[in-house]
Amino acid sequence: MISYRSIAKTLLLSAVLLLGSLLATNVSAQDGKTLFSTNCAACHAVNKRSTGPALAGVEDRWPDKTKLHAWIKNSAAFLKTGDVYANNLYNEYNKTAMNLFPGLSDKDIDAILGYIKSVPAPGSEKPAAGAAAPAPEGDNSLLFGVLTLVLAVVALILLRVNSNLRKLSIERSGEASEEEIPFWKHKSYIALIAVVLFIVGGYLTTKGAMGLGRSQNYQPVQPIYYSHKVHAGTNQINCLYCHGGAQEGKHSNIPSVNICMNCHMSINEYKGEKIYTEEGVEVDGTKEIQKLYKYAGFTVGKPFDASAAKPIEWTRIHNLPDHVYFNHSQHVKAGKVQCQTCHGDITKMDEVKQFADLSMGWCINCHRETKVQFKDNGFYSIYEKFHQDLKSGKIDSTKGITVEKIGGTECQKCHY
Amino acid sequence: MMKKLSIIAITLFTAAVIISCSDVKRQPGSVYMPDMANSRAYETYADHSNLTEAGIFYNNKPVAGTMARGEELPFHLTKDAPGDTTNYTAAKLVKNPIDSLSAAEFKETERLYLINCGVCHGAKLNGNGPLYKDGNGPYAAKPATLVGDAKYEAMPEGQMFYSVAYGKNMMGSYASQLNRKQRWQVIKYIKLKQAASKASAAPAMAAAPAKDSTAKK
Repeated sequence: MISYRSIAKTLLLSAVLLLGSLLATNVSAQDGKTLFSTNCAACHAVNKRSTGPALAGVEDRWPDKTKLHAWIKNSAAFLKTGDVYANNLYNEYNKTAMNLFPGLSDKDIDAILGYIKSVPAPGSEKPAAGAAAPAPEGDNSLLFGVLTLVLAVVALILLRVNSNLRKLSIERSGEASEEEIPFWKHKSYIALIAVVLFIVGGYLTTKGAMGLGRSQNYQPVQPIYYSHKVHAGTNQINCLYCHGGAQEGKHSNIPSVNICMNCHMSINEYKGEKIYTEEGVEVDGTKEIQKLYKYAGFTVGKPFDASAAKPIEWTRIHNLPDHVYFNHSQHVKAGKVQCQTCHGDITKMDEVKQFADLSMGWCINCHRETKVQFKDNGFYSIYEKFHQDLKSGKIDSTKGITVEKIGGTECQKCHY
Repeated sequence: MMKKLSIIAITLFTAAVIISCSDVKRQPGSVYMPDMANSRAYETYADHSNLTEAGIFYNNKPVAGTMARGEELPFHLTKDAPGDTTNYTAAKLVKNPIDSLSAAEFKETERLYLINCGVCHGAKLNGNGPLYKDGNGPYAAKPATLVGDAKYEAMPEGQMFYSVAYGKNMMGSYASQLNRKQRWQVIKYIKLKQAASKASAAPAMAAAPAKDSTAKK
């Protein structure tokens, strides 16, 4: 008796569960957006060509709604009926077969089509007024320069007025005026100018001599306006996505065109915040993407063929002289140094500039101050004595082991 | 008269110099005696276009048919021509040479996944990375929902490898960013994540079948 009851209970329970799951699928039919996102969005966008065509106005394009439904449910079978429109579409999209959706009911499809209709066409909503162009940098120094010049002129005029007045008063009083010496012959003036010239000249010469072969702040114009701020900042693409070579070997690689095309096969226009060159000229991001397509030999809607791509000749910014050995992987992989430590806040740079001066003093300073990450780092397990001293407290573990202690300031470490 | 003119000229010149001074440094600056600064050897990213003229014959590709030590065996299927799915289907039968990931390997593979895949497929493998952002990001096509979509949970690992190696639809080839071993590891990572999410969802589901089994007695 009890067992019968429990069977009945379970049956009831499972029936309810089954009904619930059925209801759940029915309920979802109302949500066209969710259905679109789970079934269609991988290949279709509403207003943009993707793997498949843009879906805005799809109902107007198809002659018959029943045909459209048949096509969505089983495109392969529908193609075999020899429908001209469907076959043309199939050929236009590089014979990429559309997935079959036998699970979608007519109601579901209508919900999806309803959602597509409800999406506004691009451009109908006005873009928010962009922020005004940022004041070009360097404006301040110009202002100060002009101010200084004006003040100097005023001071000169006042000096002249002063001397003229004095001359006048002397003449009035009838005293014999002594012979006036013009200021360019005045000894104290000459001495003053000589000292100023020596100091300024000496400073400029020393600075210039030290700057030879160094190019801090070097910010060349690149063949394509590529904004690291947009890619690595706004869109959060990891540095190593494109420059993966930094963890593999000596050089941090410049990405080849196929890596750009991983995303730009789909992203063919720029709609983000306004971007400017360093001189304050606005840049059309979409046009810059078109430049990439030219190098890649890519036309929107055709499959991308990496073998047809031509390399982009980027201008190299960071250059170390040949007599210095520098290895990226040693710093990135073994040393676990962040890219930004040496390259600055790349995620905020539209156009990249050389952040550090890459001088020897700069290298050595960092080697003296930086602690080696000894903990859980197999690369440094060979330094057994240091590990023991750290354990026994002979070396203050808060101070740790600097790069200098493991030979990071030896000449031969970098020069050989 | 001459004096006035010269003063005007000097003022104009100074003004011009001040105006033309910009903070943007478009030129790298000068070098003095760069004897040891410029490499005598051909460096990476140097101009290699005239190597043959200089009598150097260098092909930077490995000899055909060879492979590096420790590398995974090559994938024997080639990329399908557009409109053809023969090899894509055949890839279903290829087995993942990586059976399991140790804790350290799992951590490293997760790092690789987050760098190379997470930007589209999401850190939670939900197909909603920062480039898609529920359709608000710049990327128009919805990336595959790797965890939580039955299609991808049932997809054989070999077919996933085909897609990662050659690209599929809007996804490009990742062969230049991940080597063969890393690609197989990342796929194993995805499969482990899928299994983990199923296991965590299981307790709720497990309650019902448990009752069923008792009922059959």
